Amino acid sequence: MNQARTTAPVEEGGPTEPAPGEPPSDRSRRRPRIDLNMSRFSGLYLIGLLVVVYSLWLPETFFNADNARVILSSEAITGILTLGLMVSLISGVFDLSVAANMSWSTIFLGWLQAVVGVDWVLSIVLTLAFGVLIGVLNAVVVTVLKVDSVIGTLGMSSVLAAATYWLSDGQSIVGGLDPAFRELGSSKWLTIPAPVYYFAVIALVLWYLLSYTPAGRYLYSVGSNMSAARLSGLKVVRLQWFGLMTSAAVAAFAGIVFTAQLGTASYDSGAPYLLPAFAAAFLGATQVRPGRFNVWGTLIAIYLLAIGVKGLELQWPGEPWIRDLFEGIVLIVAVALAARSAARRMASRAR
Amino acid sequence: MNDGQTSGVLHVAGLSKTFPGTRALQDFSIDLHPGRVHALVGQNGSGKSTFIKVLAGFHAPDPGAEATMHGAPLRLGDPAAAYAAGLRFVHQDLGLVMTENAMDNLALGVGYRTRGPAHISWRAQEESARSLLTSLGHEFDVTVPVERLSAVERTTLAIARAMQGWDERAGLLVLDEPTATMPARDVDRVHDLVRRVTELGSSVLYVSHHLQEVFDLAHRVTVLRDGREAATLDIAETTPDHVVELMTGGIWVAEAARERKPVDGDPVLEIRGLACDVLDALDLEVRPGEVVGVAGIDGSGRDEVAGGVFGSRTRRGTVRVAGVELAPDRPHEAVGLGVGLVPRDRHADGLVMEFSVLENLTLARLKDFFSGLVLRTSRERSDVEAWIDRLRIKGGRDTSVNALSGGNQQKVVIGKWLRLKPRVLLLEEPTQGVDIAAKEEVHVLIEEAAQSGAAVLVCSSDEAELVRLCSRVLVLSQGRVVADLAGAEIREEAIIKPSLGIPTARDRAKETIG
Repeated sequence: MNQARTTAPVEEGGPTEPAPGEPPSDRSRRRPRIDLNMSRFSGLYLIGLLVVVYSLWLPETFFNADNARVILSSEAITGILTLGLMVSLISGVFDLSVAANMSWSTIFLGWLQAVVGVDWVLSIVLTLAFGVLIGVLNAVVVTVLKVDSVIGTLGMSSVLAAATYWLSDGQSIVGGLDPAFRELGSSKWLTIPAPVYYFAVIALVLWYLLSYTPAGRYLYSVGSNMSAARLSGLKVVRLQWFGLMTSAAVAAFAGIVFTAQLGTASYDSGAPYLLPAFAAAFLGATQVRPGRFNVWGTLIAIYLLAIGVKGLELQWPGEPWIRDLFEGIVLIVAVALAARSAARRMASRAR
Repeated sequence: MNDGQTSGVLHVAGLSKTFPGTRALQDFSIDLHPGRVHALVGQNGSGKSTFIKVLAGFHAPDPGAEATMHGAPLRLGDPAAAYAAGLRFVHQDLGLVMTENAMDNLALGVGYRTRGPAHISWRAQEESARSLLTSLGHEFDVTVPVERLSAVERTTLAIARAMQGWDERAGLLVLDEPTATMPARDVDRVHDLVRRVTELGSSVLYVSHHLQEVFDLAHRVTVLRDGREAATLDIAETTPDHVVELMTGGIWVAEAARERKPVDGDPVLEIRGLACDVLDALDLEVRPGEVVGVAGIDGSGRDEVAGGVFGSRTRRGTVRVAGVELAPDRPHEAVGLGVGLVPRDRHADGLVMEFSVLENLTLARLKDFFSGLVLRTSRERSDVEAWIDRLRIKGGRDTSVNALSGGNQQKVVIGKWLRLKPRVLLLEEPTQGVDIAAKEEVHVLIEEAAQSGAAVLVCSSDEAELVRLCSRVLVLSQGRVVADLAGAEIREEAIIKPSLGIPTARDRAKETIG
């Protein structure tokens, strides 16, 4: 993240105007300043608070390295899916098909390896390519057929669910995965499971793309004000294609990692991830750079959600509905917070 | 004014309306005679629309106003009282539901014809709709959605809806700029419609910008200036020139157009037969360094020129920039050829409001700072700092543009294009909502752009601005060029008169040439 941006008060209320005759000194701004501003890093404080509370409450089950590792690695799949989803949200389109896409990719990959007998490397390539194709179809529906993205990708979800069932007969594909492939998901490095590293790589790549390339800035502008972006000469349709293709390709990747991690091509693998992905993406948009979907905010949000749920699950292991309840509430609260801060920004404009 | 208090349909006296900070109407009086068309004219901000809104009950007037309708007291500021007294309004946007047909639109106000408790009798509904429209001299399909009707048919429908279930002899129909966005060929048909309404016995208050229409149609005219009644005159006893003088107070900014050298060189912007909604076959060439203005009242086509050229608005005709033809509906190609557009609505179209000054300034071309691998943010920042100084933007580069004043926001929009050294700069209302000091700064920026070789087109409703900036001004009225002024001819009066539909012999001669 570039420092000038994170230290600058993007929100209202800060010292936005430098005193006349005193140009802001570049040097002071460039120096990395540790600024864990409450309004932008409230998620980190909450994480700290939750860890302390849960550790005191559940000293045996919560506060140990194994549990930390479980949280870290179990969130890798959610994290990958959420980061992809975030790119489409940034470009101003909802991609509700990411979860169905992940389910499809899981079954398609398993089918390629176990039923067709395709080499595992090729099967990964084909699955990713199919994921991109799904993104293209979404983009056609949204930008050419002009179907609202919520509806269009909801329809695509259903189509993908049908295709998944058709290919798998509604069953998980057990066995038949190449051991070398399963190794990709189960190996560890420095005691941390490989999927965490894949998640980290996706996060770094998207952070670079969104913050350090023109395309990233252009994506944000399309999502914020499509008309102004178009009138600035940006190819807004192409950018929305890019957003939808990225979210679809990353969703396919999430399916691949999930399959490798589990060692089985499980049926309907994506469904439980849809809501947490949206909850984390919207909660993430209240963090680090409030008002914008961003990589670091999303990371904070993912782990905030995960830790919050984990403690409750450990306390009441017999109540599996706790997760759904918690994630649903967080999604609503996150969107409400975003709406409130947007309204405040609008009010500060209408002076 | 002659006192028609006894015979009048509507009599209003001593009407004032104060808004916080402004006095929109002051001691205004008006008297309307039965079966007549009474015109209400005035410049933007003269209080016309405030008066209409008070009459419709949308605003309550200041205490002390008195009003009667056919001698009976009328309570102003109460929509139900206005309706009960027989006042009917057709506003400029007509208020029709575009996706429904004429029948349904007619039923919106008064309900459907029913047979039994809740059973709509469609046949009776259709017949009554038809007969209502026929009484206004128009027949069209009442079963197609309104969006497929022509502008005149829609206006007819809106008038018919206002008039249904109404005692025409007692009523007063208020038409607010009914022809403002209508092509010239349709205006006569609306006039026929208005005459038909008066033949049925009602009176009409006709609000218009367009003096030619007023003189064609009205029997009397009331001129508003700065919230006061400047005069009420019989049309037969006055002239358009006199009315313009009353509207403007007869005061023209005496500033002679400053000496501007004719600009030589090949035109960089060539427009042939540009047509949009109202705009009809505009031809125009602009040379590098030239500032050409486009004037006209709202709905004259003035607002369509820049967007049509840029390709952000659907157009017909050809546009060439430096000899290369621009595809319609391809703003990015226009930008690629060095065209910039400063749109009329900077919040909706000019700025990404959530973005900082820096992000907005560089949005149109970030590749200047892209090494191929990473965005050189330090270089971007120092470039933007330089532009903030040059544009004299009061606000830091990381300030959200939300937090800037209108003038500073506008400087960001203009700066976004100046940074690219544009060949062609198109501006719509460049100083709307901008304070006086910033206005002058924006004007200087526009002049500097021209001096550095851009062909500049300024579309503005501010005549003084056009006098200040332009070496040539085209005046549009109902989609066509009605005056083409150059050099010393460019004066406010010379712009306003033709835009209000008062052609002079000289203008007509020019129109046939240009």
